[in-house]
Amino acid sequence: MAMIEIRGVCKWYGATQVLVDCSSSVDKGEVVVVCGPSGSGKSTLIKCVNGLELFEKGEIFVDGVSVGTAGTNLPKLRSHVGMVFQHFELFPHMTVVENLTIAQEKVLGRSRDAARDKGFSLLDRVGLKDFADKFPGQLSGGQQQRVAIARALAMDPICMLFDEPTSALDPEMIGEVLAVMQDLARDGMTMMVVTHEMGFAKNVAHRVIFMDEGRIVEDATKKDFFGTPRSERAQTFLSKILSH
Amino acid sequence: MGQFDYTVLKPSLPFIWTGLKFSVTLTLIAMSGGIVIGTLLALARLSSLKPLYTGAMLYVDLMRSIPLVMVILWFFLVIPLIIGKPVGAEYSAIITFTAFEAAYYSEIMRAGIQSVSKGQAMAGYALGMTYGQTMRLVVLPQAFRNMIPVLLTQTIILFQDTSLVYAIGAKDLLKAADIAGKNYNRPVEMYLFSAVIYFAICFTLSTFVKRLHKRIAVLR
Repeated sequence: MAMIEIRGVCKWYGATQVLVDCSSSVDKGEVVVVCGPSGSGKSTLIKCVNGLELFEKGEIFVDGVSVGTAGTNLPKLRSHVGMVFQHFELFPHMTVVENLTIAQEKVLGRSRDAARDKGFSLLDRVGLKDFADKFPGQLSGGQQQRVAIARALAMDPICMLFDEPTSALDPEMIGEVLAVMQDLARDGMTMMVVTHEMGFAKNVAHRVIFMDEGRIVEDATKKDFFGTPRSERAQTFLSKILSH
Repeated sequence: MGQFDYTVLKPSLPFIWTGLKFSVTLTLIAMSGGIVIGTLLALARLSSLKPLYTGAMLYVDLMRSIPLVMVILWFFLVIPLIIGKPVGAEYSAIITFTAFEAAYYSEIMRAGIQSVSKGQAMAGYALGMTYGQTMRLVVLPQAFRNMIPVLLTQTIILFQDTSLVYAIGAKDLLKAADIAGKNYNRPVEMYLFSAVIYFAICFTLSTFVKRLHKRIAVLR
């Protein structure tokens, strides 16, 4: 079974339907990029995967566990599904290393020492070991996002969700974050990435999902998507975004 | 106006000191209890569970719509009926102020919780934290930090309001001054003296809060 399985998901905000019958899947070790114009529902869809957003119809399975079912232990599920947000969402009242250890200790029950060791080795991995005792506010956007990725990795996730991880960054900081993500992909991490970075999609993704008005209009291998996208909507989107 | 006689101040000092101690104790207990209960009320008001939300809202609106002195009198009369035996004016005052101030602190904490971005709670949940953990570890510490100046300002008001316990005869600073004034037949001097003490404490505190406000504004 796929790591993430999305079947016929529909979601409404009041009378407005924001997700229309979305179905797709992400296999273990696969990197899937979700793109599309703003307001197309891609962020909503990725937040449905770990139950941060509720959906009214359809099913989502993560590692075989149904997300939408009432009895599901969502905190437990989320504890091994890493998530990275557009605005980083580091905890500003904790130091960088505390950001990495808090959930390890309180959610996974790891000892302080084990959590700190793990934290330091991950900070080393994202090149920020010297920043362990700083506060998030003292870091640049790119550095904060790398810490946020390390924080998610500290939980030993079985897959990672990225919700526009570079959209809030200054252009010169995008590269450092994408480099960390590329590294992760190379190590075989299962990743679902909402992004406008088509360069990243071309280099790293296995598949590309294109969304428009709450629908998945294209779900293709990278080669097909960038070669011959079938839908007109995806073609216009690509021509706009690639001309930059 | 006759001559002020300040020689009565010295012998009345121990008496005034006892009253002041009660006023400060009452303020500190009502502050701590009020902030704890107020935070729970704020969480209830922000909850999506209708009974919790409605209950908290009714309680807060009720307390905020009645003059404090009436609440003090009512509690003084009602608490003995509920627990079946009389409580002293001092205990009654402590219970009343904690319950009353909780309503005001809850509005402050509610604003504080709303000042923390939704994304912060999402990040907590995404790491596998429960609602309780997300609030305790992520949202409330930030809400509290953002609201410290406002919470302290409310506490200064609370300290001034404690003088209303004269209505039930609890021996606070004002009551002590009142009794001492009658003892020595020098009420004006004693009221003046207690006013100076209230002023000195409140002015010092509010100057401190102003400075704190600037520092927190810079930190953010």
